[in-house]
Amino acid sequence: MSNFRDLLRNENMKIYRRPRTWLMIGFLILSLLLMSGLMKYDEVRNDSSDWKQQVTEENQVLQQEIQNNATADPDFVKNMENEIKLNEYYLEHNLNPNELSMWDYVNTSAMLILLVTILTVIVAADMIAAEFSWGTIKLLLVGPASRTKVMLSKYVATMGFALLLLILSFTVAFAAGAALQGFGGLSLPHLSVSADGIIHESSMIADSLQQYGFAIVSLLMYVTFAFMISAAFRSSSMAIAFSLLFMLVGNSLTMLFSSYGWVKYLLFANIDLTRYLAGNDPIRPEMTLTFSIMMLVAYYVLFQLVSWLLFTKRDVAA
Amino acid sequence: MQATTMETVLQLRNVTKKIGGRTIVDNLSFDVPAGEVFGFLGPNGAGKTTTIRMIVGLISMTKGEVIVKGVSVRKQFAQAMTHIGAIVENPEMYKFLSGYQNLVHFARRHSGIAKERIDEVVKLVGLQNRIHEKVKRYSLGMRQRLGVAQAILHRPSVLILDEPTNGLDPAGIRELRDYLRKLTRDEGIAVIVSSHLLSEMELMCDRVAIIQGGKLIDVRSLQDTTDSPQARIMIDVGNTALAYQVLTDSISDLKISILGKQLEIESDKALIPDIARLLVKADVDIYGIHSSHKSLEDQFLEMTGGEMVV
Repeated sequence: MSNFRDLLRNENMKIYRRPRTWLMIGFLILSLLLMSGLMKYDEVRNDSSDWKQQVTEENQVLQQEIQNNATADPDFVKNMENEIKLNEYYLEHNLNPNELSMWDYVNTSAMLILLVTILTVIVAADMIAAEFSWGTIKLLLVGPASRTKVMLSKYVATMGFALLLLILSFTVAFAAGAALQGFGGLSLPHLSVSADGIIHESSMIADSLQQYGFAIVSLLMYVTFAFMISAAFRSSSMAIAFSLLFMLVGNSLTMLFSSYGWVKYLLFANIDLTRYLAGNDPIRPEMTLTFSIMMLVAYYVLFQLVSWLLFTKRDVAA
Repeated sequence: MQATTMETVLQLRNVTKKIGGRTIVDNLSFDVPAGEVFGFLGPNGAGKTTTIRMIVGLISMTKGEVIVKGVSVRKQFAQAMTHIGAIVENPEMYKFLSGYQNLVHFARRHSGIAKERIDEVVKLVGLQNRIHEKVKRYSLGMRQRLGVAQAILHRPSVLILDEPTNGLDPAGIRELRDYLRKLTRDEGIAVIVSSHLLSEMELMCDRVAIIQGGKLIDVRSLQDTTDSPQARIMIDVGNTALAYQVLTDSISDLKISILGKQLEIESDKALIPDIARLLVKADVDIYGIHSSHKSLEDQFLEMTGGEMVV
């Protein structure tokens, strides 16, 4: 009987022996390099040798604003006050805020996790559906392995691909940052202003990993969703289309209906956990981080259950 | 092949499939001994493919049991599948992989298939020169051979072939037939094959099950039919009317008809010398006598009431 490791090796072979996979990986690396290049270009173009003067002027403008808007939204005022504090900190410690450090590259690369998600969705969509369109599903299932095991090996292989892309993004962005800015910024602290108005220094790598972490939540959900559609309809194009559609319109849809109470039960309303970070608002005021995590877990379990039922219980007739 | 003395490797017990109230396969039961080529015959839609897919677990059974070497496919699927090798319809392989990689893929699912076994099977199907090429560059015949290789890698006891000759040219069909013979003879594998090409089945199988409307109509040995004395005798004569007259007068209850310049007689082969003598005595010119036994197709059409769509 098959052991899981061998099934996983088979699935990996089928992913990485396809030229398409390497095209996708190349595309991701190219995008990362392009992003890094543009960031550097932007920095060089905007000369910031007189940054001290700029920051001082900025603070004066902010002070003016606060005086003019004394009655305005307290959050708004608070944000500006925090900005002034940060600027003062920069001046005090002689840190040029406009100068990029290698961590800026890594943090910006977190935005490209959207691309990683799309690429993984494409792979996930093919995982089950392609076996049907190739006709290989029959030989795949007529083997000494339960369908549950076959499906699990496919899911784990998909997640392995996502992990590979994530590590690749992080490494390429880190390397590009180091190449363009040097390792000087490696130990720079991450600055943030806490609720009580005190400036905190924290580790940059922790901040980057946090950014990645939040992006991975949506990656996990969309990829699992694509996997489910792939198992349900046995069609890759449908799985890709539905997942991308939801990724693109999900957010605007929730915004559009955010005045209704039921919106909080939608996947899209919960998928972006950065909304619970300081300075952001959730879609609905009554939503909490715990609620969103519970909703996400519920959706995840539902997706897995539906995939499993449809993959293991249905006849393969065609 | 003496069916009765061989160990039974595949048993079907009241296998039934119902889809939405319609019975596709109805209470099918039969045994297949080791070393036998067992054919499935039936008009399109009779339930051949459904039955085969139930044996390999692609389609679930509504009722009944399939037992492979004493292991139930329904209850211990993975265990049962270690004894089964299958080619379901056209041998679909991963086209972006080489033939060898495809075999590695299928070998990995079974524990303990050494590299040597893969090489051995590759040699057996005669693909050693092209095995490292991508499957997309293979001809259909080569893919079929790779399909056979994949199916026998793990030395199964039962080999299942669903419409294996679909799309193969006559040489390819013959090649496949020879492999199957070799496998049953040398390795004692039981082969279950479904096809709608009756002449092929006739050459390939030891026994055939005839299915119609999901029901088993008959299981018969093909050895019996080829040895059967009942034959169709065609006689090419000069004067058909005279010959017809002579024969109907002399032999009672003779099934005879005139087909153009020929007489067609359905009768015992032992009657041929008598017929010839009678015609010679009556001064009828004979240009040829040809006898053939009833083909599987004739028998099949008889049994299924001509409901054949080939």
